[in-house]
Amino acid sequence: MPFFATLLVGILIAWLVVNFVQGPAYFTTIAFIGLTNGAVYALVALGYTLVYGILELINFAHGDVFMLGGMFSATMVVSVFHLAPHASIGALVAAIVGSLFVAMAACGLINVAVERIAYRPLRGAPRLAPLITAIGMSFILENIAIGWKGPGYTAVPSVLPTSAVFSVSGITYTWEKLIVVLITVPVLLVLVWLVQKTRQGKAMRATAQDRDAAAMMGIDVNRTISFTFLIAGGLAGAGGLVYALYFGQIRYDTGFQLGLIAFTAAVFGGIGNLPGAVLGALVIGFIQAFNEGLTWHAPGSDWTESIVFSILILVLVFRPEGLLGERTPEGG
Amino acid sequence: MTEQTETLLQLRGVETFYGTIQALKGVSIDVRDGEIVTLIGANGAGKSTTLRSINGLNHPRKGSIVFKGRDITYQSAHSIVKMGIAQSPEGRKLFPRMTVTENLEMGAFQRHDRAGVREDMDRVFTLFPRLAERRTQKAGTMSGGEQQMCAIGRALMARPTLLMLDEPSMGLAPIFVERIFETIVEVNKQGTSILLVEQNALMALHVANRGYVLETGTVALADEAKALAQNEQVRKTYLGET
Repeated sequence: MPFFATLLVGILIAWLVVNFVQGPAYFTTIAFIGLTNGAVYALVALGYTLVYGILELINFAHGDVFMLGGMFSATMVVSVFHLAPHASIGALVAAIVGSLFVAMAACGLINVAVERIAYRPLRGAPRLAPLITAIGMSFILENIAIGWKGPGYTAVPSVLPTSAVFSVSGITYTWEKLIVVLITVPVLLVLVWLVQKTRQGKAMRATAQDRDAAAMMGIDVNRTISFTFLIAGGLAGAGGLVYALYFGQIRYDTGFQLGLIAFTAAVFGGIGNLPGAVLGALVIGFIQAFNEGLTWHAPGSDWTESIVFSILILVLVFRPEGLLGERTPEGG
Repeated sequence: MTEQTETLLQLRGVETFYGTIQALKGVSIDVRDGEIVTLIGANGAGKSTTLRSINGLNHPRKGSIVFKGRDITYQSAHSIVKMGIAQSPEGRKLFPRMTVTENLEMGAFQRHDRAGVREDMDRVFTLFPRLAERRTQKAGTMSGGEQQMCAIGRALMARPTLLMLDEPSMGLAPIFVERIFETIVEVNKQGTSILLVEQNALMALHVANRGYVLETGTVALADEAKALAQNEQVRKTYLGET
């Protein structure tokens, strides 16, 4: 079997190299698109992995919290900040920071409420029960979105400047892509600091590793779980803002589709592992961009999901713990 | 000789269930200030369940638990720790992906006196020099004996009034068992009351002031440790004499 895997990777690399040689500038531009998509996926994937790490629950409603974040952002940008294309830099920054704050806070609180209503009462129940209520919460949130914005797409005007940050020998990097990265990276750095350095972060890690032992240390386990959902929801809110501004439209089922990809990214990287979720998201972002953008023998966008999930199956068959997951004796 | 000291922990008629199975059928025990009290009994007698009832992880359905004069029967586990009860649980339950130092720090989670925590960390490393050697090692990768020391050290880091130890000698080489029991006596001399659950009844009765024999969820015998060690029935059943 390693021969088979090596062959596949070899073909993949050869395909990338040929595409690169045929048009290095174009290839790089496509890679920038992949990086940007990956950054959006990472924000959502981290929420799945955080919640799974602490509760071993796949929060199926997470993608829909992200979608609501996008709708909050759309509303803020259009109706509160009245942002139009080609706005001044000051107005743009104020609108983005203001909307980001509102979307993160609102989604954080929604996620905490979801846990309180649909998961906590079932803490002692068999695994299947909270999984079903998670799917139920997903439908409820989608229906709230339909009631609020209707079943069609909500358009967000393209407020992000599309002018070039730099343009070197045919390689163009535009501001809209840089802004996505400029929002994502600080949010990720704050998350790392929160989990690694703060008291609440320590409580989260302890609760994730052994909930009973954490309680015996004097950690308020319920509060820690709520805090985790708050953070995960906040990340989803940030993802919603970035998505709404970058892709320019959002619908009640956007969270389902993107949530599925983000969840795949989290599993791909090793569910429960934070750097793994970011890595998985970037890999999927690149796969998608290369598949849809490259010109030499690329399967094209119809095949993206098949390819993403084929790779997921291969990874899970050969490395069930994911790319960065730990092979722990307890099987986690 | 212990009559004049105050009762620290008092259980009265505690009945605890796992689902529909009743594990404790009315357990009443006392721990007085400064004592070492041991619970002995066969597997499934309810020793660990008694500890889980006290520490708030498995609330009783009936009966009362009073600690330092306050009813803690239905207090949450984390607030019971804050009141001064720490535990080294059965199966150790260390945080496997944290280092030894981080595990010990977790033990002091609810404390805010940094200087005192550092002092206690040094104290734990003095008690268990082996842990000092391995302070940057992930707890999950250590041997059973080292993990046991880490679990006891972690409980001590809470600077508890009452320290509960569940099977501290389990799976340890005889030399470590002796070391652990010496430590228990030492910690007790420094002013910590101890509730000790042990399979090794001989050692437990040797270091304890008083003991309780649990049988299928009830207290079958309660006496001074010395008297229990002399008791013919106890000797036959738990000390392996014929």
